[in-house]
Amino acid sequence: MTLIKQLSAKAWIWSFIGMVLVWLVTAIYTGGKGSADVITAALSFATFTVIVGIGQMFVITTGPGNVDLSIPSTISLSGAVAMKIMGGSDAMLIVGFLASLGCGLAVGMFNYMLIRVLRIPPIIATLSSSFLILSTAIAYGRGLKIKPPPLLADFTTAQVSGVPVLAVVIILFAVVMSVVLNRTLYGRAVLAIGQNMRAAWLAGINVERIRFMTYVLSAVLAAICGFLLSGFSGGASLNMGQEYLLASIAVVVIGGTSVAGGKANIPGIWGAAMFMFLLVTMLNTFGASAGIRLIMTGLIIVAVITIAGGDEPQR
Amino acid sequence: MLKKTLMGATVLAGALSAAAFADTSDKRIALSNNYAGNSWRQAMLASWDKVTSAAVADGVVAEAPAFTTAENQVTEQAAQIQNMILEGYDAIVINAASPDALNGAVKQACDAGIVVVSFDGIVTEPCAYRIAVDFKAMGKLEVDYLATRMDGGNLLEIRGLAGVFVDDEISAGIHEGVAEHSGFKIVGSVHGDWAQDVAQKAVAGILPSLPEVAGVVTQGGDGYGAAQAFAAAGRPTPLIVMGNRYDELQWWKEQKDANGYETISVSIAPGVSTLAFWVAQMVLDGKDVPQDLTVPFLKITQDTLEESLAGTQPGGVANVEYSLEDAMAVVSGN
Repeated sequence: MTLIKQLSAKAWIWSFIGMVLVWLVTAIYTGGKGSADVITAALSFATFTVIVGIGQMFVITTGPGNVDLSIPSTISLSGAVAMKIMGGSDAMLIVGFLASLGCGLAVGMFNYMLIRVLRIPPIIATLSSSFLILSTAIAYGRGLKIKPPPLLADFTTAQVSGVPVLAVVIILFAVVMSVVLNRTLYGRAVLAIGQNMRAAWLAGINVERIRFMTYVLSAVLAAICGFLLSGFSGGASLNMGQEYLLASIAVVVIGGTSVAGGKANIPGIWGAAMFMFLLVTMLNTFGASAGIRLIMTGLIIVAVITIAGGDEPQR
Repeated sequence: MLKKTLMGATVLAGALSAAAFADTSDKRIALSNNYAGNSWRQAMLASWDKVTSAAVADGVVAEAPAFTTAENQVTEQAAQIQNMILEGYDAIVINAASPDALNGAVKQACDAGIVVVSFDGIVTEPCAYRIAVDFKAMGKLEVDYLATRMDGGNLLEIRGLAGVFVDDEISAGIHEGVAEHSGFKIVGSVHGDWAQDVAQKAVAGILPSLPEVAGVVTQGGDGYGAAQAFAAAGRPTPLIVMGNRYDELQWWKEQKDANGYETISVSIAPGVSTLAFWVAQMVLDGKDVPQDLTVPFLKITQDTLEESLAGTQPGGVANVEYSLEDAMAVVSGN
């Protein structure tokens, strides 16, 4: 009893409940056919959403108005740069990865500069930088589709008895980031700033340095996502990041992180990313038309957020 | 430089004899484009640039710049067209964000005496010229081809971007084909948004719940993603209709060499923008051009695969650029 009580107090539990329900409904509909394979597919694709979701979560947690809209274009730029530098050669793998990280660092610093030096609100700053980044990617890559080095392709698509290796790596990464969020100075500072920036500043937290680190973290994670994604899907493309804009925000919110900032959790991101994939799969399996599918997706997301958000009333 | 001067001199000297050639030499044609974020659109803009800069250098027209809106928004493109009217272009070539929402701006342009030619994303305003693609026939052609290869079987349909006219048309053609060839049955349908990574994700999700799939009907840009999803799931590769993208053709070539894989590939050549350019030029030149034109699609078969692949840039789309003569042939063929 106490266990149930404890669990239901966790904001992230709802995304997992949603995930299991959706999976069960799909399994019943198909008579159990391929249900295990669906989980494998969900793990593979959720991995990429989780990587950017974690970065977005840290940004959102630093308080109202903080959001990173440049994630999709950073994914595209990083993928294009890495693929072009590596040119399909295993020997250049490290160089490509470093170039990718470099893209992320540059984007993160640029975003923060717009926000801090030019005092542009984060939504506008990251949106406008995303145009610049995408234009850079277009000018640099010209939509070039270069195959990833075999080593990278093998690594990103490898499975051990139905479990994608990359998913395991990112689960471990999520555990590390969870410790960072809850047990380190940086993580606590992010939460404190999100709860009340002024109070955090008065308490001696270097608010601007923490925000700087957070925007850089988000951009670097987006860059890593772009690097891995282009390995996974056989090359980079200009619009490869597109669907991660809303997805990165959705998984954060469905996962039980407060949009108002100051309250965050990592496990929920995994639950939400799996839930989102399985939800679309379920509706595809039902053969629902696109209109119905979009309406259902919207309604179910609202339902999950409402239930998950029904926590302690404001004092 | 010398060549240009010489040519200028020739034009001056033979102003009357070179009438057809010089009539539009002071005309300015603008391209209003709503989106540039994929390889097809990039190739379309590259073709426009290549053909029009040659035309400008040859003195056929004065200038032909291309403008792309940032947000793929109707309001933004309408404002862009209004700016072009104010800037006094003689003709505006449009790839429209919406078939009807730009009609107001298009009408204003026509009223200002500007020739409007829409292509790919066409506009319904009667005063504009339309270079349309028979997307429905393209969808049907896919199923017709499958019927020549097998008696029937389960099909997976990969659709494009939900809510877009092109997606509805191609899908309607596919369903028409399936109704005609009763051996086929569509067992699953997903939206791949014409992007290989989106298609890969959607197919990977639905695949485990599907029975054996004999064929995959697509809309272009999604074939390679589908192939990867089948391979990742460890399922036999079905007959996947391709859409002329480089990665799709390259994959097909690899399969062909390895195991004799056979399919077709069909899509619209991005160079259709250059056809639109020549149509605008011909109208300015006073030639008789029908208001509605249809462009043929570009079909690649087992025999033309190598040739098409060699002529396609890595990351691009198999392409055909139109010369004035080609455009004249399309116009008179209608």
